[in-house]
Amino acid sequence: MAERKSPTAVLHEGPRALSDQQVRQIEGANLEEVLDVDIDDVIEYVHKDMRSLPDYTTLYRKYLKQRWDVYDLDFSQDKVDWNEKMTEAERNSFLAIASGFHHGERQVEIELPVFMIGAGEEEKLHISAQIEDEARHTVFFDRFYREVVGLQGADIMAILDASFPWVSETFVGPFGLLAYQADEVRRNPYDERARVRYGTTYFLWIEGVLALSVMKVTLSYARWRGFLPAYYTGFTATCRDESRHVQGGMKYLQDAVRKDPSMIKEIHETLRTILILAGVASREVIYEPLGWTQQEVRMLMFQQLGRKLNDVGISLPPDLQAMVGSVQPVLAGG
Amino acid sequence: MSEPEFFSPEWAAAVRDALAAGPTEQDRAGKLPMYWDFFEKVKAGYAASWALGCRGLGATLYVQWGGGTVTDCRVTGPGDGADATYVLGMDYADWQALHDGYDPQRTVMYRKILVEEGNILEFFKGIYFFTECLGVIGKVPAGFRALAAG
Repeated sequence: MAERKSPTAVLHEGPRALSDQQVRQIEGANLEEVLDVDIDDVIEYVHKDMRSLPDYTTLYRKYLKQRWDVYDLDFSQDKVDWNEKMTEAERNSFLAIASGFHHGERQVEIELPVFMIGAGEEEKLHISAQIEDEARHTVFFDRFYREVVGLQGADIMAILDASFPWVSETFVGPFGLLAYQADEVRRNPYDERARVRYGTTYFLWIEGVLALSVMKVTLSYARWRGFLPAYYTGFTATCRDESRHVQGGMKYLQDAVRKDPSMIKEIHETLRTILILAGVASREVIYEPLGWTQQEVRMLMFQQLGRKLNDVGISLPPDLQAMVGSVQPVLAGG
Repeated sequence: MSEPEFFSPEWAAAVRDALAAGPTEQDRAGKLPMYWDFFEKVKAGYAASWALGCRGLGATLYVQWGGGTVTDCRVTGPGDGADATYVLGMDYADWQALHDGYDPQRTVMYRKILVEEGNILEFFKGIYFFTECLGVIGKVPAGFRALAAG
């Protein structure tokens, strides 16, 4: 597994440049080699091409090279770590955070197909690959909860039912909004304004901010403690998949605003709703057992949002900037 | 005393009382004060109306909010309630599932209940208030004889 350093070390150092060798390692690693890839490098890699975003065909070709088999993971050591090495406090904090992702992956998998209808042909290739990625990530969490946490159920929904008590009440904010925006797109698949609102919730907020934050918290914990090698491998590979999703999503939003600058209003209005909801928490999550504080998680989310907006060239009006300061850590993703 | 029939005038009256009272202490336990402060803030300023339709039954529960309470709550027939701020619809079986304890959050997230008319971004600014109210409605005693007959 990658070097054991403090979970929050890079958070305080800020963005860093990746060498060509590091980029080659991330892009070319097979599933077994992903265990030696540093999650901080992968999160940095997400932003690598943000200023000159790759086209959809390039993203699709990357997918073909980077796809991995979720059934190749062996969770036997993770089960030992979970039951014999991790403390109860660590397990509780881990579940409070990871369960949002367990459900988030399922949500982004099923809400994506309608967005493909109104997309260009090359973008359809990228979206179809993304749907397959999200399905694989759903299976990844299903296996983790069955084989490591020990939940039992006849099918995927039974395991989702069993992990739902760990999901915060505020989860319905971004993920309910996405579901309803998906329905709006389903009814009018070529309504570009509805698609931009949907894309803001899905690609900018859920994937660009929430997902990368959860990945960072649980994976840096696993790296720090030297625990959960299959979780680290599969979820780091998931993060590499997310880099394509975030880049494709940011390209979509960037292109939409360049084509019609008035689309920025749709992004702002969507963020206004999201930031109102993100200013509220329903449960207290204890991050300290995983090596984080609530303030550090909040800082992490600010960094993720700020980098996406800056790199893609989306500015916020003063009222939205003020709302960003009130965001509560909501750890979920997809 | 038997419970009122689902989507009957008596049931609507019970829903009105339950919504005005809000979530019980038991429902509030375990959630942060910040969450309930937000709920109360939304409730105090909420001036919208919901037309909560039951597909398959051809009936709608019309709920009007104002001044921090429910100002109107009644069952209407097909097509009524179209002037509500938000027109929503859900299948009879999903209403019954909600009544039987299915989670209101997942009722929204899994699109069992959907906004059919109305501004979604505005609706979601009050989504925590809505889901809590949906939970309150689900707990109002009701008889589901129509489903049994069907």
